[in-house]
Amino acid sequence: MKEYTIDLEPVGLRIITNEEMTILDAAQRAGVEIAALCGGDGWCGKCRVQLMQGNLSPMSEVEQDILSEADKSSGIRLACQTRATSNVKLNIPPEALTTAQRLQTEGTEEPFDLDPMIHSFKINLQPPTVHDLRSDMLRVQDALEVHGIRHATISFPLLQTLSNTLRALHWQAQVVVRNCTEVIAVLPQDLPIFGLAVDIGTTKMAGYLVDLKNGLTVSKAGFGNPQVPYGEDVVSRIAYANQHPDGAKLLQQRLVDRLNEMIHELCRYANAQPEQIVDSVFVGNTAIHHLFLGIPVSQLGTAPYIASVSDAVERRAVEIGLAISPAAYLYMPPNIAGFVGADHVSMLLATNTVIKSRMRGETIVSLDIGTNTEISLAHDGRLLSCSCASGPAFEGAHITNGMRAMPGAIEKVRIDEGTAFYQTIEKAAPIGICGSGILDAVAELNKHHMIDPNGQLRPDAPGVESEGRRSRKYILVPAEKSGTGGEIVVSRKDINEIQLAKGAIRAGVEVLLLEAGISSDEIDQFIIAGAFGTYLDLENAVSIGMFPVLPKDRYQQVGNAAGIGAKHLLLSREKRAHVDELIRGDEYIELTAHPEFTRIYVDALQF
Amino acid sequence: MDQIIENIFESILDGAQKVTEAKVKEALESGLSADKILNEGLVAAMAEVGRLFEEGEYFVPEMLIAARAMQSGLSILKPILVEEDFKPIGKVAAGTVKGDLHDIGKNLVCMMLEGASFEIVDLGTDVKPEQFVEAVRDHGCNVLAMSALLTTTMPNMKATIEALETAGVRGKVKVMVGGAPLTDQFAKEIGADGYAPDASQAVSLAKKLMAA
Repeated sequence: MKEYTIDLEPVGLRIITNEEMTILDAAQRAGVEIAALCGGDGWCGKCRVQLMQGNLSPMSEVEQDILSEADKSSGIRLACQTRATSNVKLNIPPEALTTAQRLQTEGTEEPFDLDPMIHSFKINLQPPTVHDLRSDMLRVQDALEVHGIRHATISFPLLQTLSNTLRALHWQAQVVVRNCTEVIAVLPQDLPIFGLAVDIGTTKMAGYLVDLKNGLTVSKAGFGNPQVPYGEDVVSRIAYANQHPDGAKLLQQRLVDRLNEMIHELCRYANAQPEQIVDSVFVGNTAIHHLFLGIPVSQLGTAPYIASVSDAVERRAVEIGLAISPAAYLYMPPNIAGFVGADHVSMLLATNTVIKSRMRGETIVSLDIGTNTEISLAHDGRLLSCSCASGPAFEGAHITNGMRAMPGAIEKVRIDEGTAFYQTIEKAAPIGICGSGILDAVAELNKHHMIDPNGQLRPDAPGVESEGRRSRKYILVPAEKSGTGGEIVVSRKDINEIQLAKGAIRAGVEVLLLEAGISSDEIDQFIIAGAFGTYLDLENAVSIGMFPVLPKDRYQQVGNAAGIGAKHLLLSREKRAHVDELIRGDEYIELTAHPEFTRIYVDALQF
Repeated sequence: MDQIIENIFESILDGAQKVTEAKVKEALESGLSADKILNEGLVAAMAEVGRLFEEGEYFVPEMLIAARAMQSGLSILKPILVEEDFKPIGKVAAGTVKGDLHDIGKNLVCMMLEGASFEIVDLGTDVKPEQFVEAVRDHGCNVLAMSALLTTTMPNMKATIEALETAGVRGKVKVMVGGAPLTDQFAKEIGADGYAPDASQAVSLAKKLMAA
């Protein structure tokens, strides 16, 4: 097979490809992240690259279809459709490179008792003599007996280093014991020990390093999920895993590599070493959970969407390649069903949704808005959950001038007498609109009757333009004021995307209410979690019908509750025991199979 | 055009379900034939909805809302049309492929086809290849319409076409496919007779396939 080189600009990387591999595959294998929302099927048209030098395979029908004449004449091609036929030089336009973005690591925390899985004891051992021939391990076990730890076992990786470690520490050691049964680390006496909690979102990841002795968060970091280039939503990633040999393995490897980078970063801020991380908790939706653990996902990609495992998983972290203390464990809370996974369970835990509902008899809706939005309703001792395909519109995808929440993104919009006022992230010149901005814009257009109940822009409304027979658009930022030199608009199509997203979320809530046999005014608390959920304007979300109308004080925006829940699971054995019980008897509703879903959804599409 | 037919036409364009129902009843009472109400009111309105959609004036929400109004009108006309031995222009078996439960797009296609005087055998969601084969064999359908919304279930379209071939009924039916992740190229690769990117174009494709 012939091999060629590809010079990638502006990355400045030379990678190897062959005549059979697509440019996208070659770039992804080399770790260059080119946006491919569809997972390389060709329909999203995002993986644009520009040919600077050399020859590529002839243009496919998909490319003929998707690329404009201007694109074609300037050498733009779709990386997923194209193969090299000589050594080539390619330019990746900025919009096709997945880049840094604003991430969510903050959240509201509720107080609870510190009771981690991990305990550590300072022990001062007597060195062996000819009269004291106890083995090193027995010496440690005897010392632990004093602290009430009987018959402690030792993990094998640690056994392989124990004798040397004890001597290097001159018999003055800190022995780290997990669940009062197993010695998992032997460290210098005064070294702090840490736990790692990570919320692995479909798009974004938030990690926390927590001091296990006092429960304080010592550092936090936000990273993008490195699987995004293989498919923006989890279904595309499952398809990638199905269609590529070793695809699932590659997705796992990318994730673990990025998590190890995150661990490195978290340690750097805290002035710590990865060996000091002696416990870890990870949460994610069911697909992410399976991909992370290397569990097959193909059965999850097809109805009736069956998870491989619903119980909590505890394994040694080293088994999947995480670079923390060699004997440390990783814990993932249970999955519910379908795509409602460990992250949602973690969110329910952090918000005390189930407890409050049971103790106070309250009716509580909790949801986490993302590409998939998971919703739970706790009412009268029942817990009902569903997952709705709200799509990536609130991540800025499929929106004409959409972008992730990065500097220059319009994040707030107000319209006054047809003129738009807006605020951008870091007050940079506007280059696009992120989720909270597009939500504001649509709500404002609706509020000022500039769109009709079906979402059509009114042609006589100020600022609305029609491009000939094509759909109408509202000019949010004229070309001369934008940071890109082009105008930033809200098109009818953008409004449509928001309608589909808000309709799906509202329909999910309504179906759960219907199943519980109650109406929306019986909701005592409406809890909104997640990054977008924190930044969105609540009033606007209600005015476009995404959420039901309730008295203001019943809504709560709680931030990254899934991440907070992961921290709680790190710090409390009681919570780990409780989490299994929490979701016992949970009723999962498959929306797409619900007889009333389509009717409710169509109603929810309107303004 | 009769004022009342025009009202029906307008009510469907506006997606005003209640108005459509009332006006269809009123039209029947005033002595207009079900056939005329169907063709000049319902079918004409849905053709206009399709045209507006293709011109970028209407989007999926308007189409869904209009189709819903049309269907409520149609359900009033149906018993009468059956009595009058109304002949549909073709028979379409439709469903989402095995493993796929997402049926909003498929339902919209069904409604648009119904609004264009096709008879629909709606097989629902998660339809196995052998169920499609049965429908073609037992109901004498001229067209088979499959939809897939998930990249993970798209391969089941090919499996269905292969099942039609194995059963020896592939020649009896035209196969059309659709769904968000599909492309024309994919449709050709799996041996389908046509691909429609949206519900409006599904109608013209079905008509074209019937004529071929």
